[in-house]
Amino acid sequence: MEKEKENAGKPLEEKWHFGHNKAAAAAGSRSIRGTLSKVIASVEETGPRPLIQLGHGDPSPFPSFRTTPIAEDAILEAVKSAQYNHYSPSSGLLPARRAVAEYLSKDIPYKLSSDDIFLTAGCAQAIDIVIAALARPDANILLPRPGFPLYDARCTFYNVEMRHFDLIPEQGWELDLDQVEKLTDENTVAIVLINPNNPSGSVLKYQHMEEIAKTARKLGIMVISDEAYGHLTFGSNPFIPMGVFGDVVPILTLGSISKRWVVPGWRLGWIAMTDPKGILSETKVIDSIRSILDITINPVTFIQGAIPQIIEKTKDDFFNNIIHVLRGAAELCYNKIKDIKCITCPHKPEGSMFVMVKLNLSYLVDISDDVDFCIKLAKEDSVIICPGSVLEMKNWLRITFAIEPASLEVGLERLKSFCERHGKN
Amino acid sequence: MEKENGANPSSETERWQFGHNKAVVAAGNRSLREAIYKVIACVEETGPRPVIPIANGDPSVFPSFRTTPIAEEAIVEAVRSAEYNNYSPTNGLLSARQAVADYLSKDLPYKLSPDDVFLTAGCSQAIDIIISALSRPGANVLLPRPGFPMYEARCIYNNVEMRHFDLIPEQGWELDLEQVKKLADENTVAIVVCNPNNPCGSVLKYHHMEEIAKTARKLGVMIISDEVYDHLTFGSNPFIPMGIFGDIVPVVTLGSISKRWVVPGWRLGWIATTDPKGILRKTKVVDSIRSILDITTDPATFIQGALPQIIEKTKDDFFNNITHILRDAAELCYNKIKDIKCITCPHKPEGSMFVMVKLNLSCLVDINDDVDFCSKLAKEESVIVCPGSALEMKNWLRITFAVEQTSLVVGLERLKLFCERHEKN
Repeated sequence: MEKEKENAGKPLEEKWHFGHNKAAAAAGSRSIRGTLSKVIASVEETGPRPLIQLGHGDPSPFPSFRTTPIAEDAILEAVKSAQYNHYSPSSGLLPARRAVAEYLSKDIPYKLSSDDIFLTAGCAQAIDIVIAALARPDANILLPRPGFPLYDARCTFYNVEMRHFDLIPEQGWELDLDQVEKLTDENTVAIVLINPNNPSGSVLKYQHMEEIAKTARKLGIMVISDEAYGHLTFGSNPFIPMGVFGDVVPILTLGSISKRWVVPGWRLGWIAMTDPKGILSETKVIDSIRSILDITINPVTFIQGAIPQIIEKTKDDFFNNIIHVLRGAAELCYNKIKDIKCITCPHKPEGSMFVMVKLNLSYLVDISDDVDFCIKLAKEDSVIICPGSVLEMKNWLRITFAIEPASLEVGLERLKSFCERHGKN
Repeated sequence: MEKENGANPSSETERWQFGHNKAVVAAGNRSLREAIYKVIACVEETGPRPVIPIANGDPSVFPSFRTTPIAEEAIVEAVRSAEYNNYSPTNGLLSARQAVADYLSKDLPYKLSPDDVFLTAGCSQAIDIIISALSRPGANVLLPRPGFPMYEARCIYNNVEMRHFDLIPEQGWELDLEQVKKLADENTVAIVVCNPNNPCGSVLKYHHMEEIAKTARKLGVMIISDEVYDHLTFGSNPFIPMGIFGDIVPVVTLGSISKRWVVPGWRLGWIATTDPKGILRKTKVVDSIRSILDITTDPATFIQGALPQIIEKTKDDFFNNITHILRDAAELCYNKIKDIKCITCPHKPEGSMFVMVKLNLSCLVDINDDVDFCSKLAKEESVIVCPGSALEMKNWLRITFAVEQTSLVVGLERLKLFCERHEKN
């Protein structure tokens, strides 16, 4: 056929009508995974000195953080029963939803029903679904800076405008509520809160949370409360679920078993309607969530099947131990950083698995910014740290302390050496 | 900005700036799950006669279809090792991708590398990702009629225009390639082929597949080959992967373990670039897939960990047994339908788990259309069949024969009685 011959000489773009999705590329560039890959790629050593990962929040490979055998047994029982090989219903299996409802209800002044719970494949999918559900032409969402870039990635992906408000380092990383009010307009639909906080390690106080709720109500927006690190607190501020203020403002609480049970690879999370007045139903936000769930993948059915046992039978010992390890690690990290001249920690971490620290570039000789710092650190000392730029905080660093304590010591020691090596005299 | 309304509940919606996302609701309306739930809702009997579900493609609950103990054991081992509780890398564990590459390569004239494989949480997520990756302003995709409505749902969700071409009942449900050529224009990016076919139960012949490949090449479009029912053939046409024609036209092969291993609840599938000329890489479609995977939830890590063992150790006995059961069930179904006056089956099923049959409304007294037929059948006989309208074929029905044989016999008998009861004299 003539056209075939014509096509033969044509450049690819003319011959084939498909190509890439620029919006997807833009969204994908907002990923911690992507940025950390670049940092890891700078590592040159091949051993015997081990790589020290202080970049991502996943302590599951470390012996000190191994999940409870009760969780593993629950999974094995569910698999062996052969009762859970089938497709899941859209919102998730009823016993699993009921178990999550009861779990969350323990810490709020009203009872959640299984209908208030939607199971998701991890908190990452919960974020995907909530942003998609709220997306409308011209809508904007208020996101914290520093934050968790998956929110930015999903907003970019779904064409939702992002407006960033600051968390104030000197004030325990509390929200700048004046700025929140200034940023809001009639197209603002929600504000995202992450508590306990990734990346700063802060835990919000009751009074401040109440102010946030009242502010959101005044502005007519809902709160998306990301509680992936729920209960992982080890300082003076206890964990308070935002749902406590659900009667003040409608709240969607996002969570998962990934962090508290240290099983991020199991992909089991939820969206909970902590909204006793039913406003999210009336405004049909829940309908949007349900529509998306109807056409979206669910968490693995046998993992859902194991959830009641996982939630109900895990002993406090296990939780207390994890917190104990985190407390010790956070202490170690904070103290070591005090010894490093070019790094400042404005607020001792008291929750989650991370701390944000500021780079004082004026103390360093040949480091241009946080990304350069992290790349050189990886290259020279095989330590991986997350550059603050990917979290909207240029010249800051996010350090994970949730690793085997022995490795943490080594990693921080190497960090110190690196800083001394590059320090001005 | 103050927004004060009275405490009147009906004005609650007015004070809030968030609401629903119409586009996702439109996408959700295409959900097959929903269409079938509506039919199930018509069931009135509460027993002792059991409901016979011959609408869904999920035989995992039936003893005859129980998955191989080898697969269950592989999962158990992976969980017990505690080596797979961590986050998965973006494209999936290397060992799992290697296993899938080797598995698919067995039936292709070239070798796939693990870099050609992207693991997804089931084939549904593969569909989600590929449609998303291809979406661009003005793009359109060619979809089969009848089809699998997840494609329609995802096109609506991603704002991709859908153009439907017919599968021709009298010609073994082959594609109407003349129509395909007429529908395609410079904005057409891909054509979706589902083989073995859901919902028709047809299996494409080599010659026809080669024609499809050449047509796609001429039109400058890629083929999305949905092979979720791969190897589930039991008639005269063997299963041929579309990837065989990958040197003619770029083919993206979608698959999973859900059907062949009867474990849809395990959520483990893949996108494979069966594209020996690397066109998908050069046109950056692969980049788009990666960008989306970077910000998207992954299959459970321990299921990925178990995959090499699942794929490599499952015995042919198991596969042969499943195919044997399906063959008998398809035979039974086809023969029974021949006995029913108002239903015609244009093509005996020889693959997948379904058959499409035509309703001859002129033979029936008080049935308006396929939805009405299915609703009344559910109500009067507690048999669930899928209305063809949900698959773009009004006044057709999709019947699953992949159920326990005893149930199938009962269900088809009740179907026959129902038809006789509603037939014209």
